[in-house]
Amino acid sequence: MIRLLRELLNEVPRGRGRFALSVLLAAFASGASVALMGVSAWLLSRAAEHPPVLYLEAAAVGVRFFGIARGVFRYLERLVGHDLALRMQGALRLRSYQTLSRTTLLGRRRGDLLTRMVADVEAIQDVVVRVAVPFCSASLVILGTTAMLTMFSPASAAALLGTALLGGILMPWLAQRMSLEVDRDAAPARGELSNTVDQISHAAADLVAYGLTDEALERLAGADNRLRTAEARAAWVRGLASAGQMIAAGLAVVTALVIGSQAVASGDMLARNLAVLVLTPLALHEVLATLTQSAQTMTRARSSLARVLATLEEPVVGAGDRDNQTDSETTPTLSVRQADLGWPGSEPVLRDVNLHLTSGERVAIVGSSGVGKTTLAATAMGLIEPLAGSVELRGTAAYLAQDAHIFSTSVSENVRIGKRDASDTEVSEALRQAGLPLDPDRLLGEQGRTLSGGEVRRLALARILVGRGGPRLMILDEPTEHLDNETAENLMRDLWAATADDAVMVVTHDSQVVSNCTRTVELTAPLMTR
Amino acid sequence: MAPPIDPRLLRRGRATRNFLVALAVIGIGSAGLMLAQAWLLSRSISTVFATRSTAGVWGWAGLLLAVFTARAILVWLNQWLAHHSSAAVKSGLRRDVMAARLSRPTDSSVSSASMINLITKGLDDLDGYYAKYLPQLVLAVVVPSIIIVAIATQDITSAIIIAVTIPLIPVFMALIGWTTEKQVKRRFAVQNRLANHFADLITGLPTLQVFGRAKAQSTGLEITEASHRDETMKTLRISFLSSFALELLASLSVAVVAVTVGFRVVFSELDFTTALFVLILAPEAYLPVRQVGVHYHDAADGMAAADEALSIIEAEELPSGTTLPQPGADIEFHGVSFSYPDTDRAALPRLDAHLRSGTVSVLRGPSGGGKSTACSLLMGFLAPGEGTISVGGTPQAELDQAAWRARLAYVPQSPGMLPGSIAENVRLGAPDATDEQVRDALDKCGAEQLDPARRVGDDAEGLSAGERRRVALARALLRIDVGGAEWLVLDEPTAGLDAGTEAAVLDAVRHTGAGAVVVSHRATVIERADQVISVGAAAVAGGAK
Repeated sequence: MIRLLRELLNEVPRGRGRFALSVLLAAFASGASVALMGVSAWLLSRAAEHPPVLYLEAAAVGVRFFGIARGVFRYLERLVGHDLALRMQGALRLRSYQTLSRTTLLGRRRGDLLTRMVADVEAIQDVVVRVAVPFCSASLVILGTTAMLTMFSPASAAALLGTALLGGILMPWLAQRMSLEVDRDAAPARGELSNTVDQISHAAADLVAYGLTDEALERLAGADNRLRTAEARAAWVRGLASAGQMIAAGLAVVTALVIGSQAVASGDMLARNLAVLVLTPLALHEVLATLTQSAQTMTRARSSLARVLATLEEPVVGAGDRDNQTDSETTPTLSVRQADLGWPGSEPVLRDVNLHLTSGERVAIVGSSGVGKTTLAATAMGLIEPLAGSVELRGTAAYLAQDAHIFSTSVSENVRIGKRDASDTEVSEALRQAGLPLDPDRLLGEQGRTLSGGEVRRLALARILVGRGGPRLMILDEPTEHLDNETAENLMRDLWAATADDAVMVVTHDSQVVSNCTRTVELTAPLMTR
Repeated sequence: MAPPIDPRLLRRGRATRNFLVALAVIGIGSAGLMLAQAWLLSRSISTVFATRSTAGVWGWAGLLLAVFTARAILVWLNQWLAHHSSAAVKSGLRRDVMAARLSRPTDSSVSSASMINLITKGLDDLDGYYAKYLPQLVLAVVVPSIIIVAIATQDITSAIIIAVTIPLIPVFMALIGWTTEKQVKRRFAVQNRLANHFADLITGLPTLQVFGRAKAQSTGLEITEASHRDETMKTLRISFLSSFALELLASLSVAVVAVTVGFRVVFSELDFTTALFVLILAPEAYLPVRQVGVHYHDAADGMAAADEALSIIEAEELPSGTTLPQPGADIEFHGVSFSYPDTDRAALPRLDAHLRSGTVSVLRGPSGGGKSTACSLLMGFLAPGEGTISVGGTPQAELDQAAWRARLAYVPQSPGMLPGSIAENVRLGAPDATDEQVRDALDKCGAEQLDPARRVGDDAEGLSAGERRRVALARALLRIDVGGAEWLVLDEPTAGLDAGTEAAVLDAVRHTGAGAVVVSHRATVIERADQVISVGAAAVAGGAK
């Protein structure tokens, strides 16, 4: 994680400078509150000696200055720190995007990975703002305070350093270690609860229809109880750290009192410095109290960033982007000869596939789910190479995905994914052909949630129809999946019409669709050899 | 600003109320210990200062250690208690949210995924509220008041300074929040849109790659990230202002107290011991108030989660009557219609129908015309917006819903499965059915080759869509054959599943003398119907058209 932080700091312009500045500002802010207490204590002690008022003016100005400085420095530090954190997050996002875009993702069943990645990358902000800056600045403040107090009493300063390390470093570390362990024990209970909720939620209509509501709630209560027991143990441990910090503060104050009194009695230290020696640790330990929270944030952030790193360091598979050269003159032909198909670096999912397909033909690819139908599609498009044998595509290919992503932008921009420089007329024509009478300027919400299942499928169709030239190889992946019968029949009618001149390869389990094809190829998984 | 404690949470149970009382007791204890600590410190320092001797120091030191230990115990107790009550409240909310979900099983206003997220991760945000914010809030009320009173007994001037400045903190924060609210909200919307760009691109990557457009988007992403940062920083500059006001007021007030006290000591208006006592206590009075500010965001997340949960729980529940349904009664729809809230289009336009006991009725109509809604209304998952459904003359709403549903055997569009064996899933229809009866039901539903002992994973993993449908049909048939249900309620399966099974099951149902309500537009099903009812025919054109 440290390496990642360092790399990202280097990618941000003047990154190290920004980091140093925010640590310094944070140290000034915390230091100001320690100094406020120290100087105030000195002011009172000096005042108790009843000197001319003039002697107190400097200290009084100091107290007022530190009183204002803490707020100002804290405000500046938060701005500089957050700006840096956002820059580093931007750099990490860009890096993640670039890495992922180089590797072929189609059909790798990694939807959840992509979603999780979005959340995981945000952890970098916490690491900067809540972990790195607080720990570095607290260390500076501890060292600075110790150095100042050394002038009054080296022994007492040493004792303060010891308790500060105890309360600021050891206690947070210990708490983080212990709570990590307890959390690990609670993880299975948490998983069970989430499974139970998932099951009940998905089968809700059936459970109610069959009068099983009470049984379902009882199962939930059981899972919830086990999680609660595990979490109760966690609560035990968490409070210990804060209690430990309080004890450390007490030790700091008491040792300062004992050592300081002896120094005053023996004449080694001026009596007016005693209050400074005893009260400064009180303020210092208050600064350290937040570090327990930082340690726990670090635990969470570290596992998020570890997942991001693991993804970024995976070997690159396939071509990433498909080659965009269009060749609309050639009659589309796909020849697959004795090919073994699969993801590079793993066992073939399909062996000895033979397939020849040209314009005017419609081939249905059937086979049970998970047999590798999408792998065949990805290979045909040239996204990945066959593991053995040959796959040759002449002409251009277009792919209608089952779960095409709808971007949260306008309808026309979504269509233009298919052809970047498509004219407005081309976009409208594609929408018309796809049977989707939508306003091209309409804005679509997140993941096209304002569209129905049929409309999403048709928008994806418009994408592959926009500005098309001659016949192409058309790969249709489960075009009717999850649609109701009527919507499916309407869609297929338009789809067959739009692809009449093409070479069509349709992956499906829908018997209606199969019956409209000229040929059927059944894929079977190779026998498992273990 | 929202009230700091949602009154709905207080009403929900003793857990929260007892917790608040316990927190207040702990707060009073902590404040007392702070007073003791300040008294011991000021006494010991001023004694050594005056006498220049170590006499009695060990005694002071011992007492101080005892006070710090006691404070440590209270800190620990406070956190433990906080987690404990948070857990109790979470358990209660989890159960009630789930119960609410089950009381409205077809309500799609909250998606399954967000429900799961709320019950598992979302409610954990309440920890921030209960374990951090609420204890601080109680401390912020209890501790400063006790400290101000204690200081007032020693030095009234300092007490007045503190008593005036502490209330200023929330006032200033509220003022700043109030004047910047509009600006922050507007910026936040822009910021949100920019932030989602990355998520949109990442989840859309497979699509972009197919069109060869993925790598080209990275420049766009870089630009969006930069403007996202700019926008966010503009928002932060404003929203950090309120915590700036808090920090500034708190530490400046301490400084003012210290300086005022110092000058009065010079002129012997105040003795050194009292001055130290005030100086030690002053920051302690502001600390809990500052901490409330620090934990405000934890609280906001927690309150948002609680609010989401409570709005699900407190949405209107469908009442259950007490009348038991008569056996062998007809079902009548009288002008029944239904619209989901916040939509202008009827999910089911006016429906009139008479379903005779023991007959087969087919509902047909365009996609989105309300066929599934009609099934849900019949099952009592929804209440009609207008009109009534009556069963043998009794309005369905007056029936005991559990007893009513026992008369129905329902197969939804995509049936739910519980993890376990196929036999266990079929037996949900009639828990007392024998193995032979389960086997028989599966056979009649075209699932002769399915092994009842085969395992079904989470969310029907291991079953194909067709097999899942057959298991659900067998479950329904068992409820009629063995459980004595009188009606089969069959929603249409999604595309690609063959209708032959439906026809076979209808024959089997007819054989038992039970009736059926079937959504279908397949000829094989329609030819077995006693009547065909058009639903929502004129209202909408089908599907995506």
